[in-house]
Amino acid sequence: MSRRSMLLAALAVIMALVAFVPAMAQDKIEIQVWIAFGGARLEWAQGVAAEFNELFPQYEVVVVGDRSYEEVLSASSLAFEQGTQPAIIHFFEAGTQNARDAGFEGNPQFKSVAEAFGDRTEVNGLPVDFDNFVDAVRNYYTLDGTFTSFPWNTSSAIMFNNKTMLDAAGVESVPTTWAEVDAACEKIMAMENAPANCITWPNYGWFFEQAVAMQGTDLVNNGNGREARATETYLNSDAGIAYLEWWKDLENKGYYVYTGVQRDWNGTYNLFIQQQVAMLIYSSSDTSNATNAGRDAGFEVVASFYPHNQDVEYVGNLIGGGTLWLSNGLSTEVEDGALTFLLYLTNAENDASWHKLTGYVPVTKAGIALLEAEGWYEENPNSLVASAQLDGSAQTVATAGAIFGNFPAIRDILTTAIEEVLVNDRDVTEALNEAKELADESLAEYNFLYVTE
Amino acid sequence: MVPLNFCTFEADRSSTDTAFGVLLIGLGMVIGIAIGTIVHRIVSSGQGLGSLTSEQHSAGTFKGTFIPFALLAPTLIILALFLYLPAVDNLRLSTLLARLGTDRTAFVCVDNFTKLLEPRQNYGQTLYATFLIAFFTVVLGLVLSLLIAYVAYQPVRGASIYRTLLIWPYAISPPVAGIIFSLVFNPSSGIMNHLIRTAGGTPVEWLQNASIAPWTIIVASVWKSMGFNILFYIAGLQNVPMDLVEAAAIDGANFVQRFRRVIIPMLSPITFFLIITNITYAFFDTYGTIDFLTSGGPAGATSTMIYRIVDNGLRKFDLGTAAAQSLVLFSIVILITLIQFRTSGRRVTYGK
Repeated sequence: MSRRSMLLAALAVIMALVAFVPAMAQDKIEIQVWIAFGGARLEWAQGVAAEFNELFPQYEVVVVGDRSYEEVLSASSLAFEQGTQPAIIHFFEAGTQNARDAGFEGNPQFKSVAEAFGDRTEVNGLPVDFDNFVDAVRNYYTLDGTFTSFPWNTSSAIMFNNKTMLDAAGVESVPTTWAEVDAACEKIMAMENAPANCITWPNYGWFFEQAVAMQGTDLVNNGNGREARATETYLNSDAGIAYLEWWKDLENKGYYVYTGVQRDWNGTYNLFIQQQVAMLIYSSSDTSNATNAGRDAGFEVVASFYPHNQDVEYVGNLIGGGTLWLSNGLSTEVEDGALTFLLYLTNAENDASWHKLTGYVPVTKAGIALLEAEGWYEENPNSLVASAQLDGSAQTVATAGAIFGNFPAIRDILTTAIEEVLVNDRDVTEALNEAKELADESLAEYNFLYVTE
Repeated sequence: MVPLNFCTFEADRSSTDTAFGVLLIGLGMVIGIAIGTIVHRIVSSGQGLGSLTSEQHSAGTFKGTFIPFALLAPTLIILALFLYLPAVDNLRLSTLLARLGTDRTAFVCVDNFTKLLEPRQNYGQTLYATFLIAFFTVVLGLVLSLLIAYVAYQPVRGASIYRTLLIWPYAISPPVAGIIFSLVFNPSSGIMNHLIRTAGGTPVEWLQNASIAPWTIIVASVWKSMGFNILFYIAGLQNVPMDLVEAAAIDGANFVQRFRRVIIPMLSPITFFLIITNITYAFFDTYGTIDFLTSGGPAGATSTMIYRIVDNGLRKFDLGTAAAQSLVLFSIVILITLIQFRTSGRRVTYGK
């Protein structure tokens, strides 16, 4: 073949490819899903998408992972402005109000999933059953009586205990209250080969929010923002002050260790795995990881409920995690495909397998039933703890969780105030009073933008 | 003042706002006079834009203005679209209450700026952290780089291998550098404290102590910028005429004197360039390192201006505040660069 004909042949192949590939792709309806996970969690989601694409050959679900919820939201709002928004966006619980308000005058960025499902009892043969979701999840995400977004990864704050170390120190049962934590730490730190510190957890507003809800106190006004748009925060509530005083006291006694970094999930987790602390308060989303890592390092990890304030009646815990939001303005085919994928992603098998991979609680009753039938919980008692904690929670407004604008920023204000107390020895009440003031201003600014009518 | 429309002088504004307005008007006047002077010089000289440069026209000069501007157009268009326009828009944004993800905004005059003066915003601490980290990153970075480059420049066996290895840190992105240093400085499981413990010392609170954490950031930033600096210093050293050094040696100058009196002055153009690029680096590009090492903590000790801008804009979705802070940072860096050009810039020898 001469050089020229080879070039021509190459050109022809390229032209054919260019013409052919889109033609093939056009046969399928593409559904973009942007999630805030990487690594094993992203791979899991992509695996589910691959199965889904085989089962429903008319669709092509593409799952893209990003580093954080914030990045997913900012990328998707830019895409929305340009009319190239993904069908499904993954966003965290604190962003619920932001997501509800996102978009432009008369053109919201997201559509309520309940509205999109309408009266349908099935989409593409997959059943629609909102009653199937566990109570805590339904309680949190039901706004104005319906689901606006679709529940997926749901966690709760629980405690991991180094049982081997607790046994060695003569602590008979895992601590369930603040006072019991203190008592256990006293014994642990008195051991001959005591660890450097006794307990740690990430400095993240979420743990504060949990502790306040556990004491039955709301985080914001207007029924935790569920009856009407919240206009005031209660960051300096008695419950909050009591919690932070306890935390500060733990640190003063050398029991609690602060890694110096806000939202330090890795640092605190590593301290626990390296047995430099005996207890770790953490998200249940890493139950499987922590249990396995402990076993590999030669100690037994026992999960237990988030310790509560013994002086106040325990009310219940709230959830954390993320939900999947449906973009507004999708074509009917794409929207139906997206809804089908949402249903598929949370069917009993996938719900159970997601739980096994991570420790996020199963969001459906069917998922829990399947895990029970398989005998999973008997073999992995730690995995039941978060679900049991949520199950045992009273369903009140406090435990339903607060909904309000600028929540991520206000959570950061709270995190910063706590850091001031831990690092700079600031007075707890003073720090929380100031945090409340800043948070209220931040909330007022937010509301000012949205409540113009 | 145009986007502000003199709102700082409205009746319900605080005295801080009024003072800020006066400052802005003054600034506007200075800029106006500067532009006026330049335009006047161009018009009165009759040479067009050529009058702005002191260089005499040589044989290779374009006649007319169309062709040179046509050739510059691709660059100018990209600069205008992606740099100047956003910068102007940033000015507008800084006067608004604006959030990511919505087109709803509200005009707030200069509140985004004056807010920074409130004590509880801790902006003073932010400025302190910024200047502390920037100053030592630049100074330590340049001094160490020059010394290492000088040593690596000596004719030793395998010099090219050393030089290549020394430049490597430059090829690593700031977040990766952050991760490497978090492995090194992790208080409980880091390499550094492991070594200290092995040697029998008390572990250092690299990240938890508010007075040590900025230094951890400085060490990481210096290390990160070193490859770049060494690269330029080695290149610079290759251009130092050896006969000059030898002449000094013959005149009886010892090693230190040769280094101080000959090498350093001959390297001044490189040093000047590196100071400017390092200042830019220290003010803007340390974000990744800080984010991965300390997340601005503990208690704001490493929360630099750029860190707060990203934090406000992208984590808290508060675009107005972030825009105002970025303008403050921009002005500070411009000011420092101007001072640089005015002071040390004059002492630079180009060997002509």
